[in-house]
Amino acid sequence: MNTIVILSVTGIAAMMSDVFKLKKALFGLSLLGLLIALVFSVYDWGQYATYFNQMVLTDNYAVVFTTMLIGITFLWFLMSKDFFSSHSSASEHYALILFSLTGGVMMTNFSDLTILFLGLEILSIALYILAGSDKGNLFSNEASLKYFMIGSFATGFLLFGIALIYGATSSFNLQEISAYVQQHNGSLPMYFYAGILMILTGLTFKVSAVPFHFWAPDVYDGSPTLVTTYMLSVVKMAAFAALYRLFIYCFAPVYEFWIPVFAIMSAVTMLLGNITAVYQKSLKRMLAYSSIAHAGYMLMALASPGGTSRSALMFYLLAYAISTLGVFNVLYQVHKVTGREEIKSVKGLFRKNPFAAIMLTLCMLSMAGIPPVAGFFGKYYMFVSTLNGGLTWLVLIAVLSSLIGVYFYFKVIIAAFQEPELENTAYYRQPSDLTVLYICGILSLLLGILPQFVAGLL
Amino acid sequence: MDLIISLIPLLPLAGFILIGVLNKKLPKGMVGIISNTTVLSSFIISFYLFLSFIKGADSYSTELFPWINAGGLHLGLSFMVDHLTAVMLLVITGVGFLIHVYSIGYMQHDEDYPRFMSYLNLFVFFMLLLVMGSNYVVMFAGWEGVGLCSYLLIGFWFKNTDYNNAGRKAFVMNRIGDFGFLLGMFLIYQTFSSLDYKEVFEAAKNYPKGDPTITAITLLLFVGAVGKSAQIPLYTWLPDAMAGPTPVSALIHAATMVTAGVYMVIRSNVLYMLSPFSGEVVAFIGMITALMAATIGLKQNDIKKVLAYSTVSQLGFMFVALGVGAYTTGLFHVVTHAFFKALLFLCAGSVIHAMGGEQDIRRMGGLKKYLPVTHITFLMGVLAISGIPLFSGFFSKDEILAATWVHSPLMFVVMAFTSLLTAVYMFRLYWLTFHGDFRGTHHQQEHLHESPSVMTAPLMVLAILSVIGGFMGMPHWMSEKLGVHHVFNEFVAPVIYSPKEFILSHTFDFSLLIGTIVALAAVYYFTRKMYVADKVVPEEDSETKSFQKVLANKYYVDEIYDAVIRKPLDAISEMFYKIFDINIIDGIVNGIPKVTNLTASAARMLQTGRLGIYLVVMVIGVIYLFAFKLLL
Amino acid sequence: MAAINIDHYLLLSAVLFCIGVAGVLFRRNAIVIFMCIELMLNSVNLLLTSFSNQHNDPSGQIFVFFIMAVAAAEVAVGLAILVMIYRNAKSVDIDFFNKLKE
Repeated sequence: MNTIVILSVTGIAAMMSDVFKLKKALFGLSLLGLLIALVFSVYDWGQYATYFNQMVLTDNYAVVFTTMLIGITFLWFLMSKDFFSSHSSASEHYALILFSLTGGVMMTNFSDLTILFLGLEILSIALYILAGSDKGNLFSNEASLKYFMIGSFATGFLLFGIALIYGATSSFNLQEISAYVQQHNGSLPMYFYAGILMILTGLTFKVSAVPFHFWAPDVYDGSPTLVTTYMLSVVKMAAFAALYRLFIYCFAPVYEFWIPVFAIMSAVTMLLGNITAVYQKSLKRMLAYSSIAHAGYMLMALASPGGTSRSALMFYLLAYAISTLGVFNVLYQVHKVTGREEIKSVKGLFRKNPFAAIMLTLCMLSMAGIPPVAGFFGKYYMFVSTLNGGLTWLVLIAVLSSLIGVYFYFKVIIAAFQEPELENTAYYRQPSDLTVLYICGILSLLLGILPQFVAGLL
Repeated sequence: MDLIISLIPLLPLAGFILIGVLNKKLPKGMVGIISNTTVLSSFIISFYLFLSFIKGADSYSTELFPWINAGGLHLGLSFMVDHLTAVMLLVITGVGFLIHVYSIGYMQHDEDYPRFMSYLNLFVFFMLLLVMGSNYVVMFAGWEGVGLCSYLLIGFWFKNTDYNNAGRKAFVMNRIGDFGFLLGMFLIYQTFSSLDYKEVFEAAKNYPKGDPTITAITLLLFVGAVGKSAQIPLYTWLPDAMAGPTPVSALIHAATMVTAGVYMVIRSNVLYMLSPFSGEVVAFIGMITALMAATIGLKQNDIKKVLAYSTVSQLGFMFVALGVGAYTTGLFHVVTHAFFKALLFLCAGSVIHAMGGEQDIRRMGGLKKYLPVTHITFLMGVLAISGIPLFSGFFSKDEILAATWVHSPLMFVVMAFTSLLTAVYMFRLYWLTFHGDFRGTHHQQEHLHESPSVMTAPLMVLAILSVIGGFMGMPHWMSEKLGVHHVFNEFVAPVIYSPKEFILSHTFDFSLLIGTIVALAAVYYFTRKMYVADKVVPEEDSETKSFQKVLANKYYVDEIYDAVIRKPLDAISEMFYKIFDINIIDGIVNGIPKVTNLTASAARMLQTGRLGIYLVVMVIGVIYLFAFKLLL
Repeated sequence: MAAINIDHYLLLSAVLFCIGVAGVLFRRNAIVIFMCIELMLNSVNLLLTSFSNQHNDPSGQIFVFFIMAVAAAEVAVGLAILVMIYRNAKSVDIDFFNKLKE
């Protein structure tokens, strides 16, 4: 709870900083707020406490995801330092990101559907604005419109689902719903199951699972690169944390009903995402499609819940978010200097800055799932947990589609090691612009070398 | 000892990082020194380990740190060095070092010399990881790593072009292979709940022979080997990979990486022993590959392509040996092949260097007097690969033939014929390149020169190894006479689970020897007559029957030879190349992208950018969801 | 006349919801689509209130307040986005925006 309060206060403070002429301190202030929130979040470890009339439950699951969310946002702030410090409306940007993070944290801590709904909306509304924050750019406008339209449309489904669940069980509380379902299993009204499907629709939209993924490539492509980074890392993490929490804590008694849906969705999502990504020339759009594919792998955790699926999902999300940040750090800098976002615009990176190229390679390998980097273990844990769940066919498809994925991830690596297209191309203004890439590359390697330290947490 | 073992792979890695990070800030001399000393140090350590094995050490293992500890599965990032690994280490670091030395001369003038050397170091690191891992996951890490380096190096000279078709082909084929390997790994985990070699093999020994699960595992793993080691049907990427610089072809596509599949099968020999069916499959695929690649090699006119097909063919030999259960023999051939094929490639590089980048043997000829050292060393390589008695190739190939004879005489006949073909295309290459008149341009002729000594020195070392390397594995009749044992087999024996004995009667051994000598003499005579005395030059691609004239002046014997042997062979070679290589294999390889292309374009058709359509498809999705769950 | 029970409310909300969905699908003007989404949310409000009444439990009605508050915020943001878009493109027809595709 403290975490949520601190984050909100930091957000409000950031918004007010313009009024009090504290703009210079804005960056430091936000980082400080995030650090304090991080400390409080870690402090909650092992506490298992409920707040706000049992509407928020801080268990270890929540603590781990909250910490990850704040940590990733911290890195995101480091990466976007130069952009927002030069931007006139920096305080609004910071405030919106912090609000959206607050929403994300609520989505991982909820134990009541009200909080889930509020968290989701706080997260999303801030993002609708951020997606369109490049006001003069038609692409950014379009991304914002599409995101908003489809987002609020999906919210309608989610709410209708929540209403139906409430009607069937007369409660919004996860524990109470779960107990009620357990007790009346078999004699539940038809509209209870319809409610599950509606909620499933509303939430899988957020994680961009096929067939609710159409908005994703366009929105990720059109939004300003930094906002896309935030969406791909933090938002995806929060959405999955919420989806998994809801279905495991609440609908576990009727798991036979929803498992096949997730299994099929997972297979279709990973195949479609990977296959479409192969044909993208723009690095940003390729990463957007690849994020759809990754959502497919993460859905495997819901297709075989129980067992180690929880730690598998957590590890996968962490590995994915870290490598995404690293790659986007490069993309952002390249775009800033050259104005281009194609895969071939990273050509010559090795020539200019070999260390950066190696770190980029680590991040890409992590996305592709090749040992010894973090992504391999994300996939590995996920596949093993799915195998234990008995879905061998799904693992087969996952292995196959991940091999397709290797193709386009390698395209980037190879481009980075090729000759530059133009001599004297710069890929960043100063070496410190790539700090986040270095941190992410090293973290990916560390997680790949010592995976069980993190995977053992849950 | 732990530290020393870990140093073997870490030194080249350090070299890669050092050169990679400092890149052009380093003087060229320093680049050469760093990359070479790291590999040389690894070689020295490997040699030290090797000596300790000779003194009777069993095996070393060291765990850098525990990697995965979950659900009863313990996996470490750990190294294991046993007799098999020790042999591979010597080959990788030894031959690797020589190729590094050679590269100093070969790549010196390339502006990206530091980049090239750093990739080579990185490759050595991954290759060492592959053979030193003590579980399948570490092996897979190395497996992917060498693949990555291979693509980086194939594309090394492709400036300003998008990743091209050759690279893509290599890529798709290796992905198919990896698919098999990964599935094999998962099946191993599911069956034995472990991926550690020792645990898996201990557990496997309790399984009955012919157990279907083991058969499935071994077949899946073999799919991986087929991809990496360029066997039918996934072999055509290897000839295409010749686009890379020649030292790369020598190191990666001849001596080390392509033998990774062979290493993997030998490493898993316990499993393969338990599945006779898989053994048959391995041997059969190897046999067909060896034969087909050899026939295609007969008609190639690019010096590197001939060697590439020859590599495919020799890898086929190795798999035949593994398939019939002669694991030590297969490994023996890996070693001798590394010597002579690296030598041949480096010589080819020296020739290409002298010819100013020309690779077509129809433009060469008579290079003997311009490149004396290259000529002699190349000849040694040819003699070795052709299996001339007392040269290294003879010993290993002889052993393979003996093993196939015990297994199945029919297979023996095919393999014997194939090894004869080997001699034919190698001698053809040799005569056309080094004898006769020079057929290149005047300009090229003026610039012909012997390579600098930094390039010829490795050639000489490899030539010596190619000549004497076979004596560590003398056949039975010879070792009995001399009172020396088959050193190689004895050394590797501890790694092999219930090794088979392939001992033949001495009469057979001798007749094989006599047969070899007679056949090779005939090959020597006919090819020399054809390519040197009659000066037959392979027709240009555009011409069709221009050598009819030559035929007119021939003897009766020649015509028979022509009608009975050469023409059918040419026809078969042509057929395999045209139909199989180009149509079927390329068709399949290009077909996979086509299928994905089709799916992708269907998916992209919906991704129209129109919000209205997205919303409609979303609702259709919801309707399907409901129909699927509620109505069914 | 049969008593009006919960099933009727359920049916009414479902019909309202479907009208909202159909409106979103068939209209091209972004502002009309907004209104249709509001209709969907209102059908949810109706449903929650009737369930709340049926269960004799006030939490359903409280949830309605949350929905209303959030919907208001959403509309504010949505209209702001539309204003921004209209400034640049001089149109609020959703089919006008198809630059981002494939």
